[in-house]
Amino acid sequence: MSSRRRQTVAVIFGGRSVEHDVSIVTGHQIMDAFPAEGYEILPVYISRDGRWFTGDALAELDKFKDENILRQDSVKACLLSPDTRHHGLIIDPLAGRFSKSDMKRIDVAFPALHGSHGEDGSIQGLFELADIPYVGCATLGSALTNDKIMTKTVLRQAGIPVLDEHWLSRETWLEQPDACIDEILRRFELPLFIKPATLGSSIGIGRADTEALLRASIDIAANFDRRILIEPALTDGIEINCSVIGFSGRFEASTLEQPLSWDEFLSYEDKYLRGGEGMKSAERLAPAPISAELTERIKAASIAAFKIMDGRGIARIDYLVRPERDELYLNEINTMPGSLAFYLWREDGYSAADLVQKLVQLAIDAHAEKRRNLYDYQTNLVDLASQRGSKGSKAGK
Amino acid sequence: MSEILQALLAAVWLVGAGLRIVRQARFYQIEEYMNGRYLRWVASGRERWLPARSISAWMLGMVIGALLAEAPGSSLPAIVALLAAIVAVSPPRQSEVKKSLAVTPRMKRLLLSAWAICAMMYAAALGAGGALLPVEISLVPVFVISALGCALFLLAPLWLVAGNLLAQPLESALRRRYLKQAAAVLGKINPKVIGITGSYGKTTTKNFLRDILNVRFRAYATPKSFNTLMGVSLAINRDLADDLRAEYFICEMGAYVEGEIDRICQLTPPDMAIVTEVGPQHLERFGSLENVKRAKYELVKNLPADGVAVLNWDNPYIREMADEGYPESILTVSRDLTAEAARAQGVNWIASEIHETLEGLSFTVTRLETGERAQIMTGILGQHNVTNLLLCIAAAHREGIALRDIAMRIRRLKPAESRLVQERTAAGITIINDAYSANPKGIVSALKVLGMHETGARLLITPGMIELGERQDEENHKLGLLAAEQATDIILIGKAQTQAIARAIQSTSFDLTRLRVVETLGESIDWYQENLKAGDTVLFLNDLPDTY
Repeated sequence: MSSRRRQTVAVIFGGRSVEHDVSIVTGHQIMDAFPAEGYEILPVYISRDGRWFTGDALAELDKFKDENILRQDSVKACLLSPDTRHHGLIIDPLAGRFSKSDMKRIDVAFPALHGSHGEDGSIQGLFELADIPYVGCATLGSALTNDKIMTKTVLRQAGIPVLDEHWLSRETWLEQPDACIDEILRRFELPLFIKPATLGSSIGIGRADTEALLRASIDIAANFDRRILIEPALTDGIEINCSVIGFSGRFEASTLEQPLSWDEFLSYEDKYLRGGEGMKSAERLAPAPISAELTERIKAASIAAFKIMDGRGIARIDYLVRPERDELYLNEINTMPGSLAFYLWREDGYSAADLVQKLVQLAIDAHAEKRRNLYDYQTNLVDLASQRGSKGSKAGK
Repeated sequence: MSEILQALLAAVWLVGAGLRIVRQARFYQIEEYMNGRYLRWVASGRERWLPARSISAWMLGMVIGALLAEAPGSSLPAIVALLAAIVAVSPPRQSEVKKSLAVTPRMKRLLLSAWAICAMMYAAALGAGGALLPVEISLVPVFVISALGCALFLLAPLWLVAGNLLAQPLESALRRRYLKQAAAVLGKINPKVIGITGSYGKTTTKNFLRDILNVRFRAYATPKSFNTLMGVSLAINRDLADDLRAEYFICEMGAYVEGEIDRICQLTPPDMAIVTEVGPQHLERFGSLENVKRAKYELVKNLPADGVAVLNWDNPYIREMADEGYPESILTVSRDLTAEAARAQGVNWIASEIHETLEGLSFTVTRLETGERAQIMTGILGQHNVTNLLLCIAAAHREGIALRDIAMRIRRLKPAESRLVQERTAAGITIINDAYSANPKGIVSALKVLGMHETGARLLITPGMIELGERQDEENHKLGLLAAEQATDIILIGKAQTQAIARAIQSTSFDLTRLRVVETLGESIDWYQENLKAGDTVLFLNDLPDTY
C-alpha cells in the first residue's frame, strides 16, 4: 500500500563523472520504463561540471543532441536541498527580483548515475541528509563497491573468491615508477590488467602483455584515479555476470549471462551502445552455458557478496570463471549497472517496468526501515551543559 | 472652561467605552466571534450588561450634579460628572483569566472598527442631542454628554458586534485568500488525508495515529485542537508552506454546526475517515444527538468511493454510520464485544483482556478476519483510550504497517496535552491533569485512574461538565456518584453549575466534610497545596472557559 496518490520519482542522470554520457542513456531507459499510471517522473540532469537542472525537455533523449538544451525555457536550474523540510528540489534557487524560486517535492530519488559522485556514496549522502528515499545502495555499500581495492579486501575477508591484486597510489607511481614495476613483476606474471580503483564501464582499464604496455597502462589509469589496481589477466577464463536485487535479507539473483565479446576486450561503445539498447543486443549467452552446480555457486556468491557490502536495490556482479577447473573469481560489483541489467532480469520474467517499480518499492521500504529509529529523542543535555558553563563540562554521553 | 470640562467628560466616556470593548473582546473571542453566542452570554448575567458600579456611579454623579446646578455657569456639575465618569469606566478587577485576549490581526481589525463605530456613534448622538435639546440650561450639555457616554459605555458589546459586521466583507475576502493559499500548499505536497472527527477523542487519536504512522511514513497532524476550517488552514499555511515532507496529513475536524466538516473536507478531501465517538458534547449547540451524528457523518460522506472509513462500533450512532454502507471499505473496532459477538456482527478489530494499572494500559488486539493478534502495552492511561488505540491500529495496519511495528511504537506513545497526564510534584503529590476531557466517557476513565491511587488522599477538583444540553444534569449526576466512589476529597468549582454533582454526592455515604465548593480554580489549588501531602493524588477534571 503506498502512502500517496502518485509517487513523484526524480530520475537523476548525467553527473560529474567520466560516465556522464552513459548515465544519460541509463536515465532515459529508466524514465521510459516507468508506467504512466501512478508515477510522476521528474528528470533531473547534472551537467558535466556539476550543475543541476530539471524540466520536461530533459525527459527526451533526442533533445540532448541539441547543445542548447539547457537554455530552453522549460529547463530550470535546481538543487536538491539537504534541508529535510524541503523534501526535494528547490527550483531556480537564485531567483531574483522578477522571478520566484519554488519547491518541488520528491517521493523517491532514482539516481541513474555511474561512477564518481553518483555510485560512490556522495549523492547517497545527500539523500540521507535530505531524508528522501532513494534507489540503490546507501553510502557504505556504494562507497565500498565503487572501490575495487576495498571490494576485494572485504570479499576476501568474507570468504568469497577474488583474484590476487596489487595496488599502488598515483604519488608512488609518479615518484618511483621503476620500483613499482619491479614489485609488480616480482608478484605477477604478464599479462596483467590495470584498472583505476573506482571507475566502471571499462574506462581507464588496460591490459598489458609487455612491460612497456604495463607502464603505459598505469600512466593511463593514473589519469583517472588516485589509486590503481593491478591483477593477473586470466587467459583461459570466461566472463559471467549475475544481477542481484533486494534489501535486508530478501535478495534474488538473476539468470547468469556470458558476454561473448570477451576475447577482444569490450570497448566502451560496445559495452553500452551496440544496437542502441546497451548490453542486451551485444553478443551474449543467457543462461550462461555452465554447470547447474557452478550456476548455483555464483548466484549464492552474488547474494553473499551483495549482503556483506550492505547492498540494497540492484547490482550487476561480474565474475571470471574457469568452468573446467570449477573456479570462480568475483571481479566487480556495479551498484548502478548500465541499463539496470534489464536484459538479465528479462530472463527471469521481470520486465523493465517491473524492475523500476520494484526498485522504488525497495527504496521506500529501506527508508521506512530507517524510520523505525527515533531521531527526536529529547534530552536536557544542552540545558545541563549551559547551566554548568560550556567549558569542559562532562555532561556524559 | 466649561467647554474644556465637557470635552474632557466626553473623552473619559469614550476612552472608557473603548477599554470596555477590549475587555469584552476577550469573551467575544472565546465565543469564536459568534454574535449570537456572545450576546447570549452577555445577556445571561446582569453584571455583564449592566455593571452595578458603573451605573450607580453615573446616577450618583447625575443627582449630585443636578443638586449643585443652582448657579448658572458653575463648573461644579461638570466636575462631579467627570469624577463619576472616571469611577464608572475604570475597569473592574478581572476574575480569574485562564485565556487572555489573543491580539491576532483579525482582532486588531475588529477592535479598530469597533472603536471607530463607537466614536462615530458618540459624535452623532452628541450632535443630535445638542441640536434637539435647549442649550440655555447649563446642566443640559453635561447631562447629555454623561447620559450618552454611559449608554455608549454600556453598549460596548454592541459596538464589538457592529465592528465585526463592518469588518465582515474584508474578513471574508481575507478568509477566501487564506483558504486558497492553504489549498495550494496542500496541493503541492499532495499527501494522503486522514480526517478524524468525533465528539471526543479526536486530538488524542490524531496524535496517536501520527506517532504510529511515523514508524514507516512521515505524518503531519494538525496541532493542538486546531479543528475548524480556519484553524486547519492556519495550520497548513503556518506549518507546511515550506515543509513538503508529509506523506500523510492527519486532520482533526470539529463540528460546531452542521456543514462545517463539509467545508473542511473541501479544503482537505479525505482519503480515510475516522469517527471516534458521538456523544452529548456541545449538545446545546446541536439540539440532538441525531444532529451530532449527522454533522460527524459529513466526514464519511466526503470520502471517495475507494476511501476507507474507520469506525467505533461500540457507539450506537456510529454503528448507524456503518450501516449506511458507504464507502465500500469500512473498518470497525470494538472494545466492548467478545470475539464471538464481534465476529457475528462483522467487526474487524477487537480488544480483549484489557488491564489497567497506574503504569498504563495493556490489552490484546485481534484482527478477526485473519486471527492476527498482538499484545499492546502502553503508558497511556484511561480505558477510553483503548478505543482510540484500536482506531489507530486499524488505520495504520490498513496503510501497510505490520502489527508488530504498531505495537512497538504504541509503547512509546505519550498522552496529548492535558489529557490524563500524570505528574508528580516536588512535594510528592501526584497530579493527574485531565483538564481537556469534558465528556462522559473520559470522565469515567479519569475517575477510575484516580481510584487506582491508593497511597493517600484522592482529591477530585472539577467544575463539572457543560454544554451537554438536556443531558447535562443527568451526566453530572453520574459524575457525582462515581466521584463519591473513587475520590476521598472533592472540590467543586462554581456553586451554580455544580449543583447536580453536589446533590449526587450528598445522596451517597460520602463524608460531606470532605466536600468543598469554591468559586475559582485558584482557590482549589491553594487548598490542595496547603492540605495535601506526599503520596496524595489530585485529579483536575475538565477546565471551563472564562465565559463560565
